[in-house]
Amino acid sequence: MTRLVTRREFLNLLGTTGGTAAALKAGTALGLLPATGTAKALDLLALGSNNKKVAVLGGGLSGLTVAHELGKRGYDVTILEASHRCGGRIMTVRHGDLIDEIGNRQYCEFDDEPHMYFNAGAARIPSLHSNLLAYCKELEIELEVFVGENNNAYLQDDAMLGGKPVRANDYKTNIRGFLSEMLAKSMSEQQMDEPFTESEAESLLSIIRSFGDLSEGDLYQGSFRTGYKSGGFLTHGVQHDMIAFRDLLAGQMGRRALSAYEGDYGPCLLQPTGGMDNIIAGFLRKVGERVKYRAMVAAIQVRDDGVEIAYDQDDVRHKLDVDYCFNCIPTHLTVGLDHNFSGDYVKALKYVKRGQAYKAAFQAKERFWEKEAIYGGISRMNNRSSEIWYPPHGIHKDKGVILAAYDFGGGMYHTMMSQEERVEAHLSDGEKIHPDYRNLVEKPITIAWHRMNHMLGCAARWRTSFRGWTAEEEELYHTLQAPVNGRHYVIGDQMTMHSAWMESAILSAHWAMEDLDQRVRAELA
Amino acid sequence: MIRKRLLVILVLALSVHSIQVNAAEEREPYDDRYCTTCHGTDGRGNYGVQAPRLAGMEAWYLKRQLENFRSGVRGTHPRDIEGIAMRPMASKLSDESIADIIDWVGSWEYIPTEVTIEGDETAGAQLYAQCASCHGQNAEGNEALGAPALQGQNDWYLVTQLKNFKNGWRGAESGDAFGAQMIGMAQMLSDDDAINNVVSYINTLGRK
Repeated sequence: MTRLVTRREFLNLLGTTGGTAAALKAGTALGLLPATGTAKALDLLALGSNNKKVAVLGGGLSGLTVAHELGKRGYDVTILEASHRCGGRIMTVRHGDLIDEIGNRQYCEFDDEPHMYFNAGAARIPSLHSNLLAYCKELEIELEVFVGENNNAYLQDDAMLGGKPVRANDYKTNIRGFLSEMLAKSMSEQQMDEPFTESEAESLLSIIRSFGDLSEGDLYQGSFRTGYKSGGFLTHGVQHDMIAFRDLLAGQMGRRALSAYEGDYGPCLLQPTGGMDNIIAGFLRKVGERVKYRAMVAAIQVRDDGVEIAYDQDDVRHKLDVDYCFNCIPTHLTVGLDHNFSGDYVKALKYVKRGQAYKAAFQAKERFWEKEAIYGGISRMNNRSSEIWYPPHGIHKDKGVILAAYDFGGGMYHTMMSQEERVEAHLSDGEKIHPDYRNLVEKPITIAWHRMNHMLGCAARWRTSFRGWTAEEEELYHTLQAPVNGRHYVIGDQMTMHSAWMESAILSAHWAMEDLDQRVRAELA
Repeated sequence: MIRKRLLVILVLALSVHSIQVNAAEEREPYDDRYCTTCHGTDGRGNYGVQAPRLAGMEAWYLKRQLENFRSGVRGTHPRDIEGIAMRPMASKLSDESIADIIDWVGSWEYIPTEVTIEGDETAGAQLYAQCASCHGQNAEGNEALGAPALQGQNDWYLVTQLKNFKNGWRGAESGDAFGAQMIGMAQMLSDDDAINNVVSYINTLGRK
């Protein structure tokens, strides 16, 4: 028989880690504010009459940032984009759009309405990503609030409550209640008050009580925070039944329910009105004439005095000689070009692993989630489709586009399926939350980033260990970040330690341009 | 009941087809010449996505492999990671597209490949004696025997394929007679060292 751990034993176990007093001493919070929060002004030299040519390889966000900023300073910039569109993984799918997955090309059949779109790649702008937000302001891109956390969205786990979906609110309120009760009991038993003064202990106890909505005697007996079972307006509200703590512990949703909206993912998030690619459209209003589409880079030869680029367009190989080159082509594709990079540089290019993120979306025939009091937000499932996102835009219109699956870490599971198998997997996963799902959705699209033409991967993966970067990885990273001959720069979110974010792409471009600027200033001095 | 379902499928298939035909005129066009995204500039091979060299590959061998991928004779074993990636690329190719790709690949100039595998070339030369009976003394290939050239292929790709054959991850599907032959041959290579040795010997054979 399994021996049960008593509450006291559990608390003693916590106590042996000895963290509480240490954390108190380390509380110099004012010095710990993150570096993000304020956009940095780029101080780059305007060239005047000094003609300098620049090739930007790839029309992703980092490349467009370089084109825009250097264009403003008088550089002669050409952007070579291999596909039919700019933006890379900033991709909004609308009526009629081509989804260029090699081996599974799709055209999107969503209704042709402004709110009927799907952000297939980047989909959230954190408030602290200030450099991106500064460009949104400069380029006059209209923003609106994106709803990530929604207490009325669902959590579903086959192992919990017989697989019945539970509102995030119910789950979190009950978990907090039980945790608080345990903590409050330990306080009253003077297990924890040693490091605190009397007034601190009182304050802490009050935080614990309000964290879990404890009743008299520091007991958790359910909470009105989960909404009313009945009444509540014209009659007194009746409280929801408590869910037994043990029932919640049977599932695996705790980590995701309690940490999914922290850090970069925390409120307040933003999105451009009408689709994430409005950011790309904003940049293209400035540098659109500089872009050559369906122009696939074939060669990068770095010389002492410049860079020779070759690219294929309309079945013809073209040459482009430039002074400097900014390359946001994914590293794993740069490896296959005709180049003259050093062995160490190639080793670093080869080291970076391809991201495997996968997304899917459906057009919903009606906004069925709004009938369940869900306006935006994310339901989470303990299955491979993992998430359902409800659009925060187009509220109360007839239809909407919902995200039907998002697997950031292990997308190969769905990527390796046929289109029909993918769609069926998302339908059978989703109907665990919405029983009539299968009849309510239509016109599926799937985005397997590992197979998207000219990208073949989602966010780059440098780190191989969850413990952090190895010394070798740090060295390879810096090898690749340093420009070749001061002329070829690898850029993009792939060239940061925080890949997958638009802010990262922009900051990599800023780093590279500031490095270039120093060289140009020295040359012209 | 079954008949009803068949009818539904037929109607669905027809409607999907008509959507594509109608849409094609106004929508972003594409063709099937997308090999170089994975296989690198002029099909030189790309270690970054483990896609082998196509430049210099014999037309008859390329045709056979594309057809094998298309029909599922190759690229179906769950451990054949690269083959599984290739299969959907080939699965929708028409005979005309395959012919076009072969023409296109034939236009690419062969450029010597980089050496990435280290091994004992002398030991590899002895092991290669077995291979030579089909693939030729200089690994130049032999169409009559259905054996492709090995010289000039990316060495990391040869290693992967030898391992795939040895483990039965390639060549075990029915309808792949040549692959079945290769399983037997690869199993004579006792371990990873033997594979590296024979590939490092093939690296010395160069390309004429």
